[in-house]
Amino acid sequence: MKNNIKIERARNNFTQADLAEKAQVSRQTINAMEAGKYVPSTLLSLKMAEIFKVEISELFQLEKKDWK
Amino acid sequence: MKTNYLFPNKYKKVGLFVLIPTLIIGIVFFGKEPDFLYFNVYSLFGDGLNIFNVVNEVETISLIEDNIFNEIIGVLLIISSLLVGFSEEKLEDEFISTLRLKSLTRAVYVNYGILLVSFFSVYGLNFAWLAIFNIFTFLLIFISIFNFNLWRFKKSAKDEE
Repeated sequence: MKNNIKIERARNNFTQADLAEKAQVSRQTINAMEAGKYVPSTLLSLKMAEIFKVEISELFQLEKKDWK
Repeated sequence: MKTNYLFPNKYKKVGLFVLIPTLIIGIVFFGKEPDFLYFNVYSLFGDGLNIFNVVNEVETISLIEDNIFNEIIGVLLIISSLLVGFSEEKLEDEFISTLRLKSLTRAVYVNYGILLVSFFSVYGLNFAWLAIFNIFTFLLIFISIFNFNLWRFKKSAKDEE
């Protein structure tokens, strides 16, 4: 799964720590998601979409390999 | 959403505070039960066989004299290990829950891997000992794996900003 967390973060001028605090997770979790090492739950995805005020599909996109 | 069956964060420290000295005392005084710990205890299901000395009397549903050193160490080890392994982290987020579950899976494999190997390499009373140790090693293996993963996770993302 691809995500635009880093781009949205830059657009909103948030640090990883800012986003972590708003989404109530640790900074390492944000880092793991940005690095594509962790797929967040639906709940956390919705929270982040709300924080960035974007649609969830703008933040996360499926990749071909997700179907395998 | 909030039910995660974990203890509050502060119990991790309480658990560690009990676990470490209990482990040390248990290892140092292994097989050396102090005399003042002999008490009359109620035995629901005993066979009169003590692993350190044979007593030879049936002990089902009766009062028996027993050294409660093992019992104290065992109870403290299990309770403190449970507290250390199953207390929330300061920031218990979903990533840490995933980490906990993965560590638990690995701990099951490691623990039973060791047991499988020992089925074919440890025999007699030594196997009984191993089974007794196994009561505690599972939780200790889980605590080690989980905290190692946690340490690696916390170390990650130090540079990023």
